[in-house]
Amino acid sequence: MTVATNQTILVVGGGIAGMTAALEAAETGKQVVLVEKNPYLGGRTVQLYRYFPKMCHPTCGLEINLRRLKANPRIQVLTMAEVTGISGDKGNYSVNVKLAPRFVNENCTACGECNKAATSEIDDAFNYDLGKVKAAYLPNDMAYPQRYVIDPSVVGTAEGQAIKAACKYGAVDLDMKEEVVTLNAGAIVWATGWQPYDAAKITPYRYGEFKNVITNVEFERLADPHGPTGGKILRPSDGKEAKNVAFIQCAGSRDENHLRHCSRFCCMASLKQTRYVQEAFGDAGKSTIYYIDIRAIDRFEDFYQEVKANPNVSFVKSKVARISEDKNGDPRLWGVNTEGYKRYSEPHDLVVLAVGMEPSVKNVAIPAEVMGDSSGFVMADPSNAGIFGAGCATNALDVNRAVQSATAAALRAVQVVNQVARAEA
Amino acid sequence: MAEIKHAAYICKGCELGSRLDAAALVKVATKDGKMPLVREHDFLCSAEGVAMIKNDIANEGVTHAAICACSRRAKTEAFNFPTVAVSRGNLREGVIWIRPDTDEARETTQEMAEDYVRMACAEVKAMKVPEGNQNTGTSKTLLVVGGGMSGMTAALEAAKTGYKVVLVEKTGALGGMAGQLWKRIPNREPFKAPMDSGVADLVAQIEADASIKVYLNAVIAKTSGAPGRFRVDIAVESGPTVTEDIGAIIQATGFTPYDVNKLGKLGGGQANVVDQLGLEALAKSANGGAIKRADGKDVKSAVFVQCAGQRDTSGEHLSYCSGHCCATSVKQAMYFKDANPDVETVILFTDLRMPGNNEDFYRAAQNKGIVFRKGEVSNVSGGDTCKVQFKDLILDEDTSTDADIVVLATGMVPTTGPDLDQLSEANRAAEGGDTTAKEQVVQMMSKSVLNLDYRQGPDVPQFKHGFNDSHFICFPYETRRTAIYAAGPVRRPMDIAQAQEDATGAAMKAIQAIENAGLGKAAHPRSGDLSFPSVRLEGCTQCKRCTVECPFGAIDEDEKRFPLFNESRCRRCGTCMGACPVRVISFENYSVNTVGAQIKAVDIPDEFSEKPRVLILACENDAYPALDMAGMNRNAYDPFVRIIPVRCLGSVNTIWITDALNSGYDGVMLMGCKHGDQYQCHFVKGSELGRYRMSKVYDTLKGMNLETERLMDLEVAITDVDTLPQKINDYAAKIVEMGMSPFKGL
Amino acid sequence: MSDMNQQMAAKYQGNFLKEIEEQAETGEWVKMCMQCGVCSGSCPTNFHPGWEHPPQEIFMMIRAGKREEVLSSQSMWMCVSCYNCYVRCPRKVPITHIMHGIAEYAYRIGRAPKNQPTLHLSQTFWNNATKTGRVNEVQLTQTLYFKDGIASGIKKAMAMQDVALGLVKAGRLNLMEAIGGGHKCKDIKGIHAMLAKAKELEAQRKGRAA
Repeated sequence: MTVATNQTILVVGGGIAGMTAALEAAETGKQVVLVEKNPYLGGRTVQLYRYFPKMCHPTCGLEINLRRLKANPRIQVLTMAEVTGISGDKGNYSVNVKLAPRFVNENCTACGECNKAATSEIDDAFNYDLGKVKAAYLPNDMAYPQRYVIDPSVVGTAEGQAIKAACKYGAVDLDMKEEVVTLNAGAIVWATGWQPYDAAKITPYRYGEFKNVITNVEFERLADPHGPTGGKILRPSDGKEAKNVAFIQCAGSRDENHLRHCSRFCCMASLKQTRYVQEAFGDAGKSTIYYIDIRAIDRFEDFYQEVKANPNVSFVKSKVARISEDKNGDPRLWGVNTEGYKRYSEPHDLVVLAVGMEPSVKNVAIPAEVMGDSSGFVMADPSNAGIFGAGCATNALDVNRAVQSATAAALRAVQVVNQVARAEA
Repeated sequence: MAEIKHAAYICKGCELGSRLDAAALVKVATKDGKMPLVREHDFLCSAEGVAMIKNDIANEGVTHAAICACSRRAKTEAFNFPTVAVSRGNLREGVIWIRPDTDEARETTQEMAEDYVRMACAEVKAMKVPEGNQNTGTSKTLLVVGGGMSGMTAALEAAKTGYKVVLVEKTGALGGMAGQLWKRIPNREPFKAPMDSGVADLVAQIEADASIKVYLNAVIAKTSGAPGRFRVDIAVESGPTVTEDIGAIIQATGFTPYDVNKLGKLGGGQANVVDQLGLEALAKSANGGAIKRADGKDVKSAVFVQCAGQRDTSGEHLSYCSGHCCATSVKQAMYFKDANPDVETVILFTDLRMPGNNEDFYRAAQNKGIVFRKGEVSNVSGGDTCKVQFKDLILDEDTSTDADIVVLATGMVPTTGPDLDQLSEANRAAEGGDTTAKEQVVQMMSKSVLNLDYRQGPDVPQFKHGFNDSHFICFPYETRRTAIYAAGPVRRPMDIAQAQEDATGAAMKAIQAIENAGLGKAAHPRSGDLSFPSVRLEGCTQCKRCTVECPFGAIDEDEKRFPLFNESRCRRCGTCMGACPVRVISFENYSVNTVGAQIKAVDIPDEFSEKPRVLILACENDAYPALDMAGMNRNAYDPFVRIIPVRCLGSVNTIWITDALNSGYDGVMLMGCKHGDQYQCHFVKGSELGRYRMSKVYDTLKGMNLETERLMDLEVAITDVDTLPQKINDYAAKIVEMGMSPFKGL
Repeated sequence: MSDMNQQMAAKYQGNFLKEIEEQAETGEWVKMCMQCGVCSGSCPTNFHPGWEHPPQEIFMMIRAGKREEVLSSQSMWMCVSCYNCYVRCPRKVPITHIMHGIAEYAYRIGRAPKNQPTLHLSQTFWNNATKTGRVNEVQLTQTLYFKDGIASGIKKAMAMQDVALGLVKAGRLNLMEAIGGGHKCKDIKGIHAMLAKAKELEAQRKGRAA
């Protein structure tokens, strides 16, 4: 049973920004309800292999955040949950939260017997559908709550029954139904993050048509030892090692036909991903970055200079005009290097589109009046009352800046509930 | 004090019951573990199992519980008994999941489980429930150093949250660098024109806020104490020094522009060549009218040179990018265009860096007719007609352009105190009698911002390029001085919008630090931890290792040169405990004993058994989760290892290693995070210090006539889930090859 | 005509960007280019040797004040109006239109390259169409084919004879139009008056050199 009052802070979105906002507020003594759409916390960061510029692993920070969360009785976590309605005002909101059935209750010990009993496979959303998982699955090794999920497709089937029977602990409950709970909250932190821009909309790049044209988020999964290829950089068409990789910057960003804004993180992400190529193939791995401006801001510049010094990485100032496919499946990039008008028509093993950030709020409307900018990001405004944006819901941000933003949002929410507390004291 | 009662609980769920001989485990817990109460349960984490334990706590007086089930990382909600000491014997992820289910493996798997039961019992007996640091302060006032945009924002946000603030500003007015601007870069839709800096508004808000006390023309003369009970001496120009009680500190001391005179080739110091701040001054005096040069002449053409003395690879100037300067030049070019569209403005850049919605600001600039050219500037000469020579990278040619004024976009130099490493080096030399070093120390100390009277120096340690940044991507506010946070351009180069966001975040962290210090709780990353180090001074030899090594500057020295622990500054990593050669430092729930007892509890088979024992001390933040996940993936590894999680490699006391090897372990493996420039240690220096200490143990091994390979130091990342088992197996194989330890059974 | 060129050069005193903005149709968009080069790469004539300066480079040359090089360039005349550049441009710059705008301006002030085939076609077409208000296709074709002399004209005509015969059979080409004026619109005077007025209005509207 979720307990919430008008001194509770509701955090919507359990990615790194939402988790941060929830933890910072709870560690200051506030009551927090954290609502996450996925069956696990961590958001997009968990789907990254490494962070720039340190090349460290996102799960490392997640582990600390999960430990903070487990140790803090003030945070209640609702997963597979989405906010469907907000009414009321600053200091006294009433929020409807829709809970999708997990078909697994808190008895689950994560022993994995249900997974053994499952036979059918579904797309592995965690790996951007690049692989399959069984219909009873733990979304990832770091998943919190550490509890399996059963796909609705097996409910009412013999397989479902077999899965239920495999669980010795009565954790599988196929009768679970979607439900809507109403929670009270004094302030709301909106941290629903971002989605990769739909690359198929950039028609000259033929994403979805040419198998060897993938996105930067998918490339993270390819490089990750826990991804669908076991960390081997293999191209999708024929499983060949992709040793010659092209990165196309501003795939969708800085483009009035797609996203008006610059997504900020993609230059650094591609620079980082050239390291994956280097790591995998040594000097045999070649990367080419096609860019308009390399936006390696502040001390990230050091990282850029390091990558630039690598003879296996080349930079071409050009927005690639189009991609064609050679007979052997090589994507061929066509365009002009604008530094001195040099035409090119270059084949690569694999093309990575550095797709930009689209705020999730654009597609999942906030069920309340909240100011947005022309790109759909939540804009800070007094008219938003007790609703505060955090992380990539507010701007195209890298992880560090998203955490910073979430910490600030936590304080804004604390200010509201402190006011409520003072008024009620 | 209530009576102590120990109990052990053996879970039989998740195949533990079928894979292991639970009855034997019960026997081990009773006999070897000396537990007066031992219970087994088919499904210990179930409501019923948990109720059983709760009942024992309530009605059987159990004060210490060894829960032998799954990993300490699993089922934390179920096994949450805050009033009793709890240890976790990891039989699932640590034993049955990493062992094959074969008849052959059964015996060694069972032995492994029995040892983990012994260890859990031994550990819990050496533990106490932490009572929390009682030496807490009561001040909930926030000190903000620096009255610029960041400082004012932090002060106002804290005040809005209900906290008192003391704001100290070095100059005679609030506003800082932002106060010198004509306008600022827009931070909201439609991102098309420069907007009012908002400084006057913030100043007015501060003046109207009774909970903010402002000291102008003031600096921090001395900061002593600890979070929640800082005593801060504020030296006010032409007035007495004031002392304030402070709970937490935000350093928002900002930046100075890079010295333009160092940029001779770019015309620095020559007539009509100004830096961005210089142009702001001209714009301010023009007040919206035509901008005039210093000589009074109307500017008809202006050229902006980006990255002036920045992104410099020669090592002569700043190597980093200050982030705001592209947008700032755009803004300044708009000053000209907005006053008179006929003024020609050219921005010369190599990469135009205007992220987010600043792209719209860039578009607006183009629309106003500001010309952008991708070019590398080689030379600027000032004078009545300035000349800028550059290579146009698009047209691929060397060219030049004339202008009435040239603006150099120079970088931000943070206003931090002295670099602590350099200072301590100078201090050492000065103590050795070096007179130049003495002067150096005086000179460096004069730059101090906070004047902390900490043993480890007067300011917050710096990260790259002299900024007070955090090294952690996930934790941008982690400074190495508890409850002291940096905000704004002193932390990292940034523009006003970011600085205000940053200051708000820093205020959040500072308020949190105040609250937790008051409750005797630890700050990040062991947030909420109530344990704290206590020292048995009778045994202390005043070797100073703890005071020197503490990564957070928590330990001072008292007049008698004994270590003086400031518990509220402590982050509970245990580095001091690891450092102490006489082992007088301990935490209630983590001590030389809690680990030592586990090491001793392991059953060491004799040298003819062909069953070696390898002790693994694994960092609980990265290595231990990796091992857990190896278990979840059923990646098998050697049954002869016994794993003990440690808070940090820095907390590993060498006695554990020598004791282990003395008592017949055949090898010891340390698993810790990456150290060095790209360190991943959550306690900054812990893994580095731990490794440094271990390098000394090799000498001890030689003294014991043992092969140095019996101690192995492994750098582990949390993702090494698949590779770690192999590394363990390789090491175990090496030990077998080396032969059994001669110390067995001695 | 070259007087006009000098007049314009004098008027803008080296500010070629401003000159293009004010004088060339859609020239005000030139400043919006951010040099990504997607236009240059998208151009189907990209690999044609006559394509000396792609659009994005032309725009940069304009900003750099390279007046003579731009105005006398063949490049704008190479545009085939496929609109690939325009639809892909991330700044939504109407590149195709700008190309034509600059070309037209260069022609207007007498700086267009001599013997430029596209210019020749355009001029021929314009003269042909405005003369009677209708296009005389036989005469248009003749003028184009015989531009470089009789021999080359016959050669071109022979190469195309199958197409021509097809057109004749289909009633699309009337060979009789080779002699005489061909078909005309009813009010030729009116058409001429309209064209003159349009020219006047445009010059007024933009303050352009006529």
